[in-house]
Amino acid sequence: MSEHHITPLRTYLIIAASLLFLSGVTVWVSYIDLGSFNIVLAMLVATVKASLVAFFFMHLLWDDKKNLTMFLMSLMFFGIFVTITMLDTAFRGDLGLNPETKDPINKRAAFYDTLPLTDTHGHPVDEHSDEHHEDKDHH
Amino acid sequence: MGHHNPDSPSHLKHYFYDVNQQYETSKFAMWAFILTEVLTFAGLFVAYIVYRSWYPDMFVDAHKLLDVNKGLMNTIVLITSSLTMALAIWAIQKNNKKLSVVMLVATFIFALVFLGIKYLEYSHKFEVGQLPGEFYSYMGPDAAHLNNPHIFFSIYFIMTGLHGLHVAIGMGLIAWLIYSTQKGNLTSEYYTPMEMIGIFWHLVDLIWIYLFPLFYLIG
Repeated sequence: MSEHHITPLRTYLIIAASLLFLSGVTVWVSYIDLGSFNIVLAMLVATVKASLVAFFFMHLLWDDKKNLTMFLMSLMFFGIFVTITMLDTAFRGDLGLNPETKDPINKRAAFYDTLPLTDTHGHPVDEHSDEHHEDKDHH
Repeated sequence: MGHHNPDSPSHLKHYFYDVNQQYETSKFAMWAFILTEVLTFAGLFVAYIVYRSWYPDMFVDAHKLLDVNKGLMNTIVLITSSLTMALAIWAIQKNNKKLSVVMLVATFIFALVFLGIKYLEYSHKFEVGQLPGEFYSYMGPDAAHLNNPHIFFSIYFIMTGLHGLHVAIGMGLIAWLIYSTQKGNLTSEYYTPMEMIGIFWHLVDLIWIYLFPLFYLIG
């Protein structure tokens, strides 16, 4: 097996140092309010870190490319999974099926027995009024 | 009967042409397993994405109940354990059995530290009732205005729990590697199991790299 690539020690140390540095960066930027860009930046840093792990620690950079293909395929299927699911869940509000207006999920937790029900923005919700589904009451 | 060359090493199975084909086959199969692992976690990540898009405020509010310092500490521990795992393979490639065992033991200890910190986090949440679904009962002063924190904690416990299970399984595999390497079963000629368990261990690190910002560092 002498033909196996042996990664130099220096490479491993540099990669580990970069990963630790990027972990610090991602914590630091999370305290700066960038609005919706926070999550984009956090995922970007995480993806850079994940790539370093996959290419260097998991040796994908030096491996036969069939292994990288297999890994990228799993990410592709994940993308399809997310996209098709979101095509459903992201547009339920348009149909009046949004769970936060239809059926508040906070009914079940024990501590809500002592609290008024609220919607996701903290506004009180009256359990008995259901103006979004008046059409159903007319039957 | 066999096409075996009498000089071929004992670890070469008769159904492989040579050691390199055997090694490449093992590695490809390992990556097929990694694909199934990614897809297992994918289902949970989709649950996370769907609920976060439905209840963005819930995630922002409830994540404040998590301890960023413990999360960061676990990130550092896991990255370091990934390094020691990579160095264990590097050492065995150089036929340095002693260093390889030391690095494997270090990896095992870091994994134990990770689970220890996770245990502290979990036991605190069990104590105060920051639990999934209907078991949620936390009513502290910082919880009065929270929206649906029990949904957040359902996703938190399932995702970090499955990840923690992977850490525990990884520890068992690493313990076996320590035994095999110490015994001299793994050498620079044949270290396939260490390489494969290494890939598994790095996947555990890779998943945590996403879990950490998604749970502990929300805007």
